[in-house]
Order: sequence, then structure tokens, then C-alpha cells
Amino acid sequence: MNQHILKKEELDAFIKKLAKRMKVVAPVAKGYDNFAFAEVTSADEIALKYVPTILPPKKYFMPVREKVLEFSADAKGFTQKPVVEYEETAIFGVHTCDLAGISCLNMVFSERPRDYNYLTRKDHLFIIGLECLSYCDEHASCALVNSHLPNGGYDLFFTDLGDKWIIHVNTQKGEDLVEGMGLPKASAADLAALEQARAAKREVFKNEIGVEAKKLPGIFAKAMKSKVWHGVGERCVSCGNCTNVCPTCYCFDMADSVGLDLRTGARTRTWDSCQFETFAKVAGNENFREERSERQRHRYFRKFSFPLDKFNRFFCTGCGRCTRTCMAKINLKETLKELAAEHN
Amino acid sequence: MKTANKPAKAPAKAPKAAAKPKVAFFDFASCEGCQLQITNLGETLLDILGAIDVVEFREAISEKWDKDYDVVFIEGSIGDHHAEERLKKIRARAKVLIAYGACACTGGVNGMKNSFKLDEIREHVYGPDYKWFDSTPTKAVHQVVKVDYFINGCPVYAPEILEVVKHALRGLPYTVPDNPVCSECKLNENVCMYERGVACLGPWTKAGCNSWCVNNGNICYGCRGEVSNPSKAAQDVITKYNLKPELIKNKFDMYNKCKENDQKPGKGK
Repeated sequence: MNQHILKKEELDAFIKKLAKRMKVVAPVAKGYDNFAFAEVTSADEIALKYVPTILPPKKYFMPVREKVLEFSADAKGFTQKPVVEYEETAIFGVHTCDLAGISCLNMVFSERPRDYNYLTRKDHLFIIGLECLSYCDEHASCALVNSHLPNGGYDLFFTDLGDKWIIHVNTQKGEDLVEGMGLPKASAADLAALEQARAAKREVFKNEIGVEAKKLPGIFAKAMKSKVWHGVGERCVSCGNCTNVCPTCYCFDMADSVGLDLRTGARTRTWDSCQFETFAKVAGNENFREERSERQRHRYFRKFSFPLDKFNRFFCTGCGRCTRTCMAKINLKETLKELAAEHN
Repeated sequence: MKTANKPAKAPAKAPKAAAKPKVAFFDFASCEGCQLQITNLGETLLDILGAIDVVEFREAISEKWDKDYDVVFIEGSIGDHHAEERLKKIRARAKVLIAYGACACTGGVNGMKNSFKLDEIREHVYGPDYKWFDSTPTKAVHQVVKVDYFINGCPVYAPEILEVVKHALRGLPYTVPDNPVCSECKLNENVCMYERGVACLGPWTKAGCNSWCVNNGNICYGCRGEVSNPSKAAQDVITKYNLKPELIKNKFDMYNKCKENDQKPGKGK
């Protein structure tokens, strides 16, 4: 365990030094208790206490819109050139729920066929986690899925010890940075304080739905025909907010756009959502998930059932974003409780 | 070496001016703001002008054209018999018709006329001698003639104009996005208007504008028209934020009153 210390008053110098090496992004307040990851150059721009941002940090791993190919057709024939755009970036202040989300995406995009755009960009991202010692709000369910504690997937990880942060160094890149900045090693007293903070945290963070996580697979195995989906589907607006803000949703659409010369063009991929009516529509206007209830059910199964079979973990990180963003009051914790009640 | 013996091909010829599609712009009941959007395209307009041959465009040139058109752009809604006849004649001479702007695509704000009895509104506008002035309930362009492409919005959104022009040049259909504006607004990380305590029509309005208004601090006014399968339970959204259903309906009527013309028996989708 390699732990270092950063005094709170030194955060500004830390951010400024970091910003000289690479672009630094961190949660920034947008008003109305909304936050977003955005570029910062000093510590006072950063919202250290924040409710999960509107979009999770996945936007740096897979941009909302991304050019992936350039092509041209002329007398010589057809040529194409893959495009990977990336920028050396440090993401500061990532909560454990979002670290869990990044871990999920890493697994998905490392599957064959590998996604080189994602993986290349990942190599140029430096992740600095930030621990929550209390709940962000009532919509979080991180303890349910055990993502309230750090579980790897970062370069550095900050935990608040009052007048300083204790920093867990998890990678060589992280070590080079803290050594380069001359941050002192944590003392035995600091490590004891960290243990204390964690013990206190375990008392605060408890299963948020009163149903054990290990029971969820059994509940979902029986939930395909549940009436709960009808209630959820009747409320759904199909705006796609829940999937866009989800740290583990990764579906995208591809489209080619040709220039006015009608010879050159580019292929762009854009985030897509299984909640859109067009998502599962195929030629002949057949739609595999025509009803909103079917689309919402699919979303929940994509978090609590299918990834269990494939990756042996939930793809819900308990961040609470889908509940917060839903204009029609579709609430993840409530839905899970309703499903559990139906099958108990 | 297959290619070595082949004579080098001449570079592709630039299309002759005569080969460029003849394009005309016409306006009906509108503020002509969408024409202005076209002239405001800047460098993009120069690129477009390199690919097309504009033969009529009242706001920009004085020339007229008496032959057939390859493409016509129609702005404005249809509000009297004369306009209806004129539109039909233009359609008869045009291979491709593009309706652009909210007035042309959904009837736009002119549709508010349909909320009143026709004679009442005529008298209100034209005074006691209103019968001298022809007027009909407002119609969107597709409610009079066949439309090949729609560019929704008040005003039209520049990147979408370009996309539709490119689709038309290639003879490909263009699909207006049919998801709510929220789907783009969220990607722009705007603070939801409902979180600010303001009623916004984003949840029921067609996307494609990249949430232009909300990005600039305004609400969505529904100018791109209602999604084809809107949420039936808007009630949940409305009650969560303590709003009245009539408020949402009234807001929607500002741009979408003409939708009722589509829903009349025999004319439904």
C-alpha cells in the first residue's frame, strides 16, 4: 500500500501543476444542484462535494459524438482512413460509483472485436478518484451493488482526512506524479485515520433497498412478465435521459455524412439509447421492443441480469443518475423494491 | 501490376454549370426569417452555391425562372385560396419539394389562427369589410401538396439545412429525428429546465436542433413539432413539477395547432 498526503491548502498548487502537464477536468457546479465534468485550471473552480454529474466521466472515454473514419471516392478509387481523436487528460474527483462504471466499460470495449478508439483514449486518461464519506443524496444505491468503496480502476484515489487528503497510489503513472510533485508519504497515524474513516463509512452506507443484492438475479429470473414494467412503461417519456446519464450504458449509432462535393465524407458515432422507439426497429417497420414497458424492462435487465451472465457483475453502479434525471419519476430503488415484493 | 499499363484517368471534371440542379426559394405566410437563415449560412452558403444553381430567391436575387425546377424550397404556411393554388402550381413544376421552417412544416405560429372561428379572426384582422379578404384555416405545406423533405424549426437550424441539401443532392431520403429534444439536450449537459422550475416542451418535441434554445438558456417552444408517439402520461411529468396540463397544451398550440388537420378522419397518419 503506497499512500501519500496532500494538505487541503495545497490542492490549488496540485491542480495547477497537473494542468501544466495535461488537460485537467473536474466536477464543476452548474447551479440548481447540478454538476458536470469540465476543464479546470485551479482548485476553486472544482466542486469537491457534488451530486453525481449530469453525464458520467464516460464522456471522456467515448465522446458523445466521435469521428471514427474519413473516406473519399474519386477517379483513383475508394480510400478510407480510421480516425482516433484523443487528448492527454486527467479526470479529477471521480466517485467510486463512476470508477465502477469505467471498469464495466473497460470490460465491454476490451471484448473482441476490441474498440481501439475507446482503448487508445483510455491510455491517455489519468484518473483521480475521490471518496464519498457520506451519501450524495437519497437516490444513490451504491452500497447495494458494493460500489461505495474503492475497488481499483484509478491512478490516484483521494480520501478526506479533515485538513488533508490521503492519496492511494495505484499505478506507476500515479506514483510518478506524486513523487514528481514531492508529496510526502502517509504516516502510521494517517493510515489509522483512514481506517477510522472507512469504519465510520460502513456505518453510514447500508443496503438502500432492504433486499440483498444476491437475491436480485433470482428476482430478475422471474421478472420478465412482471406487471411492474407496465407501470414504468406508462410513465416513460422515451427521452433516453436514463441511458445517456448511465455510467455503464454504451450503445451508439453510426452514420456516414458526405460533403457537398459528394466525394469525401466521414463516419461519426453518436450515443444511442435503447429507450428510443427507433432503437430496435428494423426493415419493414418491425420493432422488437415497440412498447415503452419492453424498453424499460430491457434497460433494467441490462443492469441486473444480462451482464451477470456475461461479466459476472451488475452493471448498475448505484450512482442514482437515472432516477434523478427522470422527468416521469421512474425510480430505480422503487422499481427494484416493487420487483422484490412481487416475487417474495 | 494491373494498374501500370492503364492510361492515367483524367481528373473528375467539375460539374458544368448547366448540370447543377435548378433550385428556387418561395415564401408563403411567414416572417421570411428562414430565408434569412439561408443567407446567414456564410461560408457554408458559398459551398452550397457551388453545388446548386439558384434561379429564384426573392430575398436574395431578382431573377425569375419560367422552366421546371429540380428543387424548390417552400417557406411559410398556407392561409388562403390563392396561396393554395400557387403552391400547387409550384409543386407541378418541381421535381423535389423541400418544406423548410416551422410555418411550412407544422403550420407554425400561423396555426394559432385555427383556435378561433374563421370569421371572427378575419373581422379582428381586417375590420368590418373582412369579407373582401380571402382567408382559410392555416395549413402546413404537406396538408396541401406532397412534401419530399422537411427541415423543421423556427428558424431552421443551419447544420440541418446542409444535411438535407446533401441528402437531396444524392437523392436519399432524410429522416427527421423522432426522439424528444431531451435526447440531445442531455448530451449537451444542460441543467434540465424542469429542475429550474420552468416548463419546457423538450419531452414532446422532435429533436434535430441539438437543443439549440436550451443551450442558450431558453426553453424548448416545440417549434419542430410533436414526436410521432408522444408520451401518453405527460401527467407524471406535469405533476412532479406542479404544473397544469393546460399550460403545456397552450404552450404546444403556439407552434402545433395545425397538427389537428392531420388528425381529422381520413387524414390521419
